[in-house]
Formats: sequence, C-alpha cells, structure tokens
Amino acid sequence: MLENPILNDIATLAKPALFNIYFALASIPVGFPLAVLLAVGKCQRSRWLRWPSSAFVYAFRGSPLFIQFFMVYSVMLSFNLSHWKPMGIDWLVMHPLFIGPVVLVANTSAYAAEIFYGALRAVPKGQIEAAQALGMSRWRVFRSVSWPQALRLAWPAYTNELVFLFHATTLVYFTLPVINEQKDLMNKAGELFERDYNAVLHYSVAALYFLVISIVIFRFAAWYHTRLNRHLAPAERPPAPSFKPRYLR
Amino acid sequence: MPPAVLSLDNIHKCYGANEVLKGVSLTAHAGDVISLVGSSGSGKSTLLRCVNLLETPDSGSIHLGPDRVFRAGSGPHQRPSAEALRALRTRVTMVFQQFNLWSHLSVLQNVAEAPLRVKGLSRAEAFELAQDCLDKVGAADKADAYPQALSGGQQQRVAIARALAMRPELILFDEPTSALDPERVGEVLAVMRRLAEEGTTMIVVTHEMAFARDVCNQAVFLHEGRITEAGDPQQIFRQPQTERLQQFLAASLH
Repeated sequence: MLENPILNDIATLAKPALFNIYFALASIPVGFPLAVLLAVGKCQRSRWLRWPSSAFVYAFRGSPLFIQFFMVYSVMLSFNLSHWKPMGIDWLVMHPLFIGPVVLVANTSAYAAEIFYGALRAVPKGQIEAAQALGMSRWRVFRSVSWPQALRLAWPAYTNELVFLFHATTLVYFTLPVINEQKDLMNKAGELFERDYNAVLHYSVAALYFLVISIVIFRFAAWYHTRLNRHLAPAERPPAPSFKPRYLR
Repeated sequence: MPPAVLSLDNIHKCYGANEVLKGVSLTAHAGDVISLVGSSGSGKSTLLRCVNLLETPDSGSIHLGPDRVFRAGSGPHQRPSAEALRALRTRVTMVFQQFNLWSHLSVLQNVAEAPLRVKGLSRAEAFELAQDCLDKVGAADKADAYPQALSGGQQQRVAIARALAMRPELILFDEPTSALDPERVGEVLAVMRRLAEEGTTMIVVTHEMAFARDVCNQAVFLHEGRITEAGDPQQIFRQPQTERLQQFLAASLH
C-alpha cells in the first residue's frame, strides 16, 4: 500500500481502467466498418437497402444506451436456458465482456453511421461525376473518391464519437453483472467510495484516468486529421485541436 | 472521309415537361473538332452529357465507331448496364467547366487513377502515362502538387491530362474556359488547339467564338433543343442562314 492516497488510488484503479479500454478497443474496430456499411445503406436508392439501415440507425440513436444494455441483456438472458446453454456457448454470449461490446458496437455504429452519411452526401457532386465520366464503377467511385473525401469531412465529428464511446463504457457494469474482480473504473471507484465515503478523491482519480485516455484519443485524432488534410494548402487547413494552455485570450 | 467516331441519332431528352433535346443527330469523324454553340438553355450541355450517358436520353441511339453503345425507348435496355457504361466511358472522356479534380489526390494521382483502376494498368505504367499526359498539357512540374494549390487554368489543364490518360477516341469539353479568369483562358485554349492539331477528336461546348471559328472544323448551333445550323464555322459564322444564329452572333461577337 502506498502512503499517498492519490497514488494509492491511481495504482488501485489501473487494472479496472483496462476494462474500459477493452470495451472501447473491442467496439471501435467492429463499429467503424459497420457504421460505413450503414451509411452506404442509407445512401442507396433502393428502399430495401435504405430502410433497414435507417431503421437500425434510428433505433440505436433514438433510445438511451442505458436501456439498450438492459434490453439486450434481458433478451439474451431469456434465450439462455433454451438456446445458449444447449449450444454450449452460454459462457461466451452471456459474458459482460461479450455483451458489452455488442451493445456498444450497435450504439456507436448508429451514431457514426449518421456522421458518415452526412459526410458522404457532402462530397462535391462534380468530383463524383468526374469519376463516373472516366468509367469508374459505383464501387470504384466510392473507393477512390467518395469515401476518402467523406472520411476527411467526417473525421472531427467521428473523433467526438470515439471519445463519447470511451466514456460510455462506464455504463456497461451498471447494467451487466460484475463477475468476480472484473470491475471497471466506475465499479472500483464506487467500491472505494463505500469504504471511506471520500467521493472527491476516488471519483477524481477515476476521472483522471478518463482525462488521460481522452487526451490520447484527441492526440491521435488530431495527428490523423493533419495527415488526412495534407492536400490542403496550409492556409486552408482546418486547425488541429490544440491542448496547450492559453493564459491570455 | 475518315471513319465516324461517334454518331448520335435522334436524341431526345426531357426533364419532366421540359423537353430539352428534341431529336438531335450528329456525327463526328476521326480528327473532327466540333463546337457546340448556342445560348444558355439551348441544350448544348445536356447533349454533351448524353454522349457519355451522364444523362440517359429518353430516345435515340448512340454509336461509337461501328458499335451501338446505347439505344433508348426499346425494351429492357432503357438503363445501360454497368459494363456498357464502362466500355463507353473509357472510350469517351470528359472535361468539365468546374475542373472537378479530386481534391484529396495529387495532380499525378488524379491523372493516373482511372488508367490504374479502370483500365488495370500497373502502377509504373499508369504513372508513366500520367507523366506523359501532364507533359502534353505543360503541367509536368506540378505533378506532386495538390489541386488546391493550382490556378484555375492549371487545374483545367490537369483535367485535360486526366481525360487524355484514358487514350480516348473522343474527348468532350463542357465549357472548359467558362470558370476561368480571363487571363487564364488563353493557356487552356492553347492546349486544346494543340490537341486539335494532333488530330484528337473533340466536341467542345463553348462560348469562345474565336476558338469555334479558328480551331474547330465544324460548328453546330443549337437552339431550343434542335440543331438549327451546322457546318464549316468560317462559313456559317460569316453568313448565317437563320435569323436565330444571326441574333446569337450579333449578341456574342459584339
């Protein structure tokens, strides 16, 4: 045990932080392509492709994440005895480390899909026409022109979504069962709080973890943003977010 | 007479109740440089866009050389297949009024993209070809720049290189100088004049009457969706037969 209570908390909360990081890292790589797929689906002329994507996006943007966790968990639970156990996969599909990312993927892909959808629609029409006029197929136009441009337009908003997603990982264990010592930052901070009622200390240190990890995300996003916009003249480049303290305004 | 590169037969196009093209037929032979002139709303841009099927004609047919690439109004071929579009558009490319360069790609990549992705050239071949085409339009030194860093005239010359890189049989120009500063118009027209001298087949929608008169070997005057007058530009601009063309010339030549 460390003498300094802050250092002590930082050490105690290190392992729980890994759970939040796990939930985010497990959701983003699946949520991103799914969001692109949904956004493309929403852009289609055929209503049979457009409607399911729009419905999915609407459902998961239109309801609270908190309720989505409850709903998915109870639906999964109701199939447990009849399906998951006989199939021998209940240890996997009922595990919070599985259900958590599933719900987060659905939620983040819905939000990100809307961001990408807007960006795809904002790609200059002339550039798409130029691609068509050179014989590119619809897939090729998407791959060579619409998507690279849409990603550039969407990136700042998508960065926001990444940070929100990371913060939303705190909701996982509010709804799903905690198994043994598999606790995330919020569980552990709550547990520490119940010992000595020092809310300021424990929750501040938990918040500190979020701040630090958020800044890593911001930094990465800003670096990638600059990389994406190499093609713009320096004067036209949107300023990358800066975290240097500004004492004078 | 050199072989026909393109023939349009009785092309009609409506937008709702507005009939923009009322049966246009036109033939371009190899080496022809045809100007399409007419006041705005006469349907000249729509006609050009019908040639490479950016707009689908309501009726009529399009032949490239001996191959029929499009026929409308008869059964299931109303919407051309993806394969037919690809085949047509690799043979007929287009230069736009607003250049429409892809802003996230460098100049060289802009020119190489279609040969690389559509024609399936290797990277080395595509970039070499792109460099050659940039040379041709005098933009070789800008190969690594991005479109935003270029002037309008430079962008349009790169756009011409991009259209050339497909080695097309015909290039369509949709008001290529209308979005340019007056002092940039000359450099683009010079490139087009050189292409014409090399025997490139081109159809040019333009308001540059001097270009239409001096460079083009054929002028086509469109009025309200019909070809009102066509022929040798020296002749029809000097001695217009119809009142419409007389009025148009009076207004555009001052």
